[in-house]
Amino acid sequence: MSDVMLAAYRHDAHKFTGESHNDAREMFAGVRVNQSVPDGADGDAAALSRPQQKQEQTVPNHDNHYRLSLLSGETAYNPDYFTRSTIEGTVSDLIATKDAVTAHQRWLSSDVAAALNESVYHPYTSLKYHTLLVGALLDNYRAGNDFDTLRLVVDPAGEIVPFRTVFDGDRFGLRIDADPSRRPAARLGSRPWRSWASTWNRLTAHPLDTDGDKYDMTLDANLRRTLSWSTALQYIEDYADWRPDR
Amino acid sequence: MTKIQQVLWELRMDYIGHPYYVSGNAILHALGQHLAPETHAELSASHGMFVPGQYGTFPDEHSQSGSRPYLGSGLPDVVAYDDLFLHREASHPWLLDIRARDALNTQDLRIHGGHPTLCHETIMGRRDEQWKQFETTKWYVHAYLHADDPTVLPLGEDVLEDLQFGGKRNYGYGEVELKETQLIELGELDYSRLKGAETYLIELVTPFVLESEYHLVNGCTVPWWWAENREDLRFREEKILEQREVYRLQTVDHGQVVTYLGDHPIETAKNGLLRVGSHSRYGFGELRVKPLGEQKYRSEKN
Repeated sequence: MSDVMLAAYRHDAHKFTGESHNDAREMFAGVRVNQSVPDGADGDAAALSRPQQKQEQTVPNHDNHYRLSLLSGETAYNPDYFTRSTIEGTVSDLIATKDAVTAHQRWLSSDVAAALNESVYHPYTSLKYHTLLVGALLDNYRAGNDFDTLRLVVDPAGEIVPFRTVFDGDRFGLRIDADPSRRPAARLGSRPWRSWASTWNRLTAHPLDTDGDKYDMTLDANLRRTLSWSTALQYIEDYADWRPDR
Repeated sequence: MTKIQQVLWELRMDYIGHPYYVSGNAILHALGQHLAPETHAELSASHGMFVPGQYGTFPDEHSQSGSRPYLGSGLPDVVAYDDLFLHREASHPWLLDIRARDALNTQDLRIHGGHPTLCHETIMGRRDEQWKQFETTKWYVHAYLHADDPTVLPLGEDVLEDLQFGGKRNYGYGEVELKETQLIELGELDYSRLKGAETYLIELVTPFVLESEYHLVNGCTVPWWWAENREDLRFREEKILEQREVYRLQTVDHGQVVTYLGDHPIETAKNGLLRVGSHSRYGFGELRVKPLGEQKYRSEKN
């Protein structure tokens, strides 16, 4: 069980090391990495966040694995931070842990994974949230929950469901699950597509104060405009760090 | 015969105000400064949707097809019902996938005096070494007007020029310039795509008002022709400003989709354009009817 889930958290290790998918190493920090994820979970998570039909550069001047921020427009590249020792230390904590539940928790709170995109063609996407989506889909599929039974579920802050929580913030969590546990929820639909705005729009309650809090309303307004799941989840995280009123 | 006048304004300055849309109430207030009271009293205004001035491709349900450079910054011809909604969906599905569509369709933010402020343009690529390649995308506001007295429309371009929306107007915020306007006769549009489907959905393009402090509307129920009841729906409080007083409204939040239970989808669609429920004059209660199972139409078009 644990080994299969670990494959999800290790499948894109080559993006940290700057290798292409085809030339990616098999071992990193003593563990097998860059293996394909079972049950199509990687492809389905990719379809939630970026167009699948053709791969083209969507931002002409940007062709590396550092994420561009939807909030600031800036690259996450920081030469002081991304040193060889960072990659070996922080990334091996993320990739090489032997316990899948621990790996999931580390990905939820990772900054280094948030600095990378999931595809150089789509630099506003987030490797962190792509990987968390892969893990959540894989765990659901392995439990027999087909994609068309899945929902986005809003949980209270700090309530982490192993592998299925895809966002863990100070105010609320978000989870992919078949059982909404009487929490606010919305179905993901019959197949994976860039359905963030559509799903967010159909939640039975929003975890934001959209009645009167101008910063929450502004966040909500931009979330209703965003199609890509990993871009939207990263935006919620970045926005909480940026807003000056909390 | 009912006419509507579509208006597209270009944001010239940053905007501090309602982040989802410029409310119909705010648009009516701005127009009121240019109009005789008796003319103004005839008018209803939709909410003004924010539109990125970008390239795009007509969606499948549109009467036209193909890509256009001005899809976000102009008003294409309207011959069919669905054409009316091209600019009225926040996710703007017409944006091209070969561009960074989420970055182009989310508003850049600044902070002014503690308020989040929507930037009037998005600049991409400026900080890169190849700085000459930066691209600027302007934001537009799309709204439509209708009038009880049909002779009031169209409003002249002089009336629609030089308006301001939102707060901090003394500092120049929210200034807009008229980009384009066109008059549409709703009775002449093609509604045939709404015929013959087994199931119809209704998208709440703007919030539907259930309760209001302003007109003392209370206990409005969810329409019987929606399959969903209160437990299934998300609510949001709205406010309107009248004679310097703030009144609170309880609404069914926009963006939600309900299943239609009625038997007259085309009539419902026409009513939904002119909006239903309380405060429809101020932009609330705009509905879009969508048939399920659109394959037949698509193959005809292609």
